[in-house]
Order: sequence, then structure tokens, then C-alpha cells
Amino acid sequence: MTDIPVIYFLWVSAFLFATGISILLVKKNTIFVLMGIELILNAANLNLVAFSKNDPSLQGLYLSIFVLVVGVCEMAIALAIILQVYRNYRAIEVDQFKSEY
Amino acid sequence: MSPLVIAFLVLAMLTCGSALSMLWTKNLLHAALAMFLTMLGLAGLYVLAYADVLAVAHLLVYVGGVLILILFGIMLTNQTDPATGKNHLMTRESGRLLPFSIGLSFFLGLFWLFTKGPWVINLPVTGDSKLREVGLGLLTEYAFPFELAGVFLLIALIGATFVAKNHD
Repeated sequence: MTDIPVIYFLWVSAFLFATGISILLVKKNTIFVLMGIELILNAANLNLVAFSKNDPSLQGLYLSIFVLVVGVCEMAIALAIILQVYRNYRAIEVDQFKSEY
Repeated sequence: MSPLVIAFLVLAMLTCGSALSMLWTKNLLHAALAMFLTMLGLAGLYVLAYADVLAVAHLLVYVGGVLILILFGIMLTNQTDPATGKNHLMTRESGRLLPFSIGLSFFLGLFWLFTKGPWVINLPVTGDSKLREVGLGLLTEYAFPFELAGVFLLIALIGATFVAKNHD
């Protein structure tokens, strides 16, 4: 059985990271920005999984499981914060959050 | 080409294509659906990297949890157009040229780094499911981080409900 080279996974993860960075920079909606952050997180996760592919100690796989948990926590907290921001400003675009002082 | 590589190519194209459509579209709901496809392709890539445990966890967490959270976020922050009474999901963007070129340069730089990098990856191919090893490891060697992750998740979810509460 042939094995897929690790470098293929690294290329896909580089693409996902670059797409996430572009979404982060180009979109003004906060939920969109959050999705870009999720893409970056998953690119890092794919790297960890690819490097632990044939590693008998499986350290990258364990780390990526914990990264998954932290990503979910980040998403829940961030959406709660977005909800509060929406209650205060009636808008969720990043350029509409202005201080009143 | 072996069937494994063909499966990898299909899944990589699904992942990268839907990530690109996430970047391209201005409709928030279309982006959420494209993110669903991205996560599906990523789970397939995890299976091809022999991480089937992580693939199932990833599908459960992202499709079952995060995507539902995002859809609720979209619904709760709707901005109805006062003139027509319709809810437009179209989002605004800053200029596309500069962010796209920054993203492209990131991709080319990482591509160059990964291709030129002196990786020493000559481990023997194990090529089987790691369910047993991961289960044993999470309950023996990594038991403390595992429990800590559970407590962390509990704290984060309680904190999220507290933050999202109406504080008036």
C-alpha cells in the first residue's frame, strides 16, 4: 500500500492558512472574520496530523485533539461576545464599532 | 496513480475549492455552507492521514456544534433592511486587491518553505487505524490534559452563556 507524502498535506494546509488570512483581511462582518480564524486553526491542525501520520508516539494527534477543544471554546465565547456587541451597537461590522467618548 | 492519491486529490480539491468560495462569496449563509464543505473535506483528509478518531471528532464538533453556533449567530444578528423589510445577508468588504495579494504571498511563501524545508520524514509506514492507541493514551499518559480539557470546555460554555445573557 502506498503512502501519501506528507508534503501534499502541507501544501493543502498552506492554502487553507492563506485563505484564512485573506478572509480575515477582506471581510468586515465579524462572523465572517471568525470563520477565517477557524480556517487558520484547521490549517495548523492539518499540519499536526500530517506530521504525526507515521509517528508511533502520536504526539501531534494528541495535540490536535486538544487544539480542537480549544477551538470550540474560542468559537462559543466569540459568538457570545458578538451577540453582546450587536445588542450595544446594532451592527456587527468591524468598522462600525466606534467609541462614544 | 494509486487510488489513495486520487482520493486525496478529490478531497483536497473539495477543501480548497470550498475555502476559496468562502473567500469569494459575500453572502454570509453561503459562506457558512461552504465552511461545512471545507470541514467535510478536512475530515476526509484526516482519515487519509490515518487519524480517523480525529476525523470523527472533527465532524461531530464542527458540523454538529460550531456550524450550528454560527447559524444561530447569523440569525440572532440579522439586520433587516427598513425600506424593503427583507433581511439581506450580504456583507461588506474592504478592497479586495491588497488582502488577496497578501494571502497569495503568504501561500507562496509557505509553499516555498514547505517545499524547500529540510524535513526528515522517513518513518516506516504504519498505515492503520489509531483508535486503540489514542484511547489508551488519552486515559493513561494524557489523562490529566484530557480532564483539564473537559473542565476548560465546561468553564468556556458557562462563561459563554453568562456573556450572552441579557444584562439589563
